[in-house]
Amino acid sequence: MAFIKKSTDAASTGADRVAERDFAGLIAQLDDADPATRRWAARDLLVFPAATAALVARLKREDDRSVREFILTSLTRLGDEIAVAGLVEWLRSEDAVMRNEAIEAMKALPDEVAPIMGGLLSDPDPDVRIMAVNVLESLRHPHVEDWLIDVIDNDSVINVCGTAVDLLGEVGSPAARASLLRLRERFPAEPYIRFATDLALKRIGEA
Amino acid sequence: MKRILIVDDAATVRMYHRSILEEAGYEVDEAINGIEALEKALNATYDLYLVDVNMPKLDGYSFVRELRGHAMIPQAPAVMISTEAKTSDQTKAFEAGANLYIIKPTRPDLLVAHVRLLLGDTST
Repeated sequence: MAFIKKSTDAASTGADRVAERDFAGLIAQLDDADPATRRWAARDLLVFPAATAALVARLKREDDRSVREFILTSLTRLGDEIAVAGLVEWLRSEDAVMRNEAIEAMKALPDEVAPIMGGLLSDPDPDVRIMAVNVLESLRHPHVEDWLIDVIDNDSVINVCGTAVDLLGEVGSPAARASLLRLRERFPAEPYIRFATDLALKRIGEA
Repeated sequence: MKRILIVDDAATVRMYHRSILEEAGYEVDEAINGIEALEKALNATYDLYLVDVNMPKLDGYSFVRELRGHAMIPQAPAVMISTEAKTSDQTKAFEAGANLYIIKPTRPDLLVAHVRLLLGDTST
């Protein structure tokens, strides 16, 4: 007898998706006891812009990681203000898994995340500012270098600057040179800052 | 020569720690997240792990938890290293199975002192 691999998708396209696929039906299924049903509801809601508030609300109490991934994907694709605010709240989580889920989702949302990036990079919590720099890592946006330069020129917390320097070493241009040198002068007794700025300057050809 | 696996998604941080540990006489390997670190730990033996907290794919807490629960991986000390200075972060690290929690940025002399202590390298 041939081995038949049970596919999650194949299984879930059956009973899990028999119920109504209209907006009201899908919103109700977000609270279903079966994670597979919640997963498919989260996925199918991505065509309904009005679903963001319900998806954000479900995300707050969802304990199944795979369902959270589907919710985050739908929020990423919907990408309105409510969706972005929900992702930002996830970024503030005390849970490292949730924080990284938010970072990964936000990286895929350059146009939606860009307007709030200034606020995130000046958040009172340095951990949130570090997460925001981490979001910039893969954010394909023309202002990434400007944001990073602003961070190393103005942020008082060494680890926020250190995270920004790491990224400047990858995406920076000669425009970052003066700020990198100023940063090194601001933290003269910090070996990591010296190491990272030297490396970044070398990589951008300005050592 | 004792081998240390550095697990960190930031290339500059990996290079910084590598330069410090190699200068102190250790052999160093790198992984960019917890998943890659687990794969490496299954295929090679390390004497110590230096693990960042926030990483994509598999974060540092989850990596150390997996490491501690994996019967096929020889156990070794794990130093968790993070920008986050809250007591709750340290508690989470120890609950996951870390032996030490260090706050970034690391100073070379302190890092080497901690590593030597955990490895029992009193003569080097």
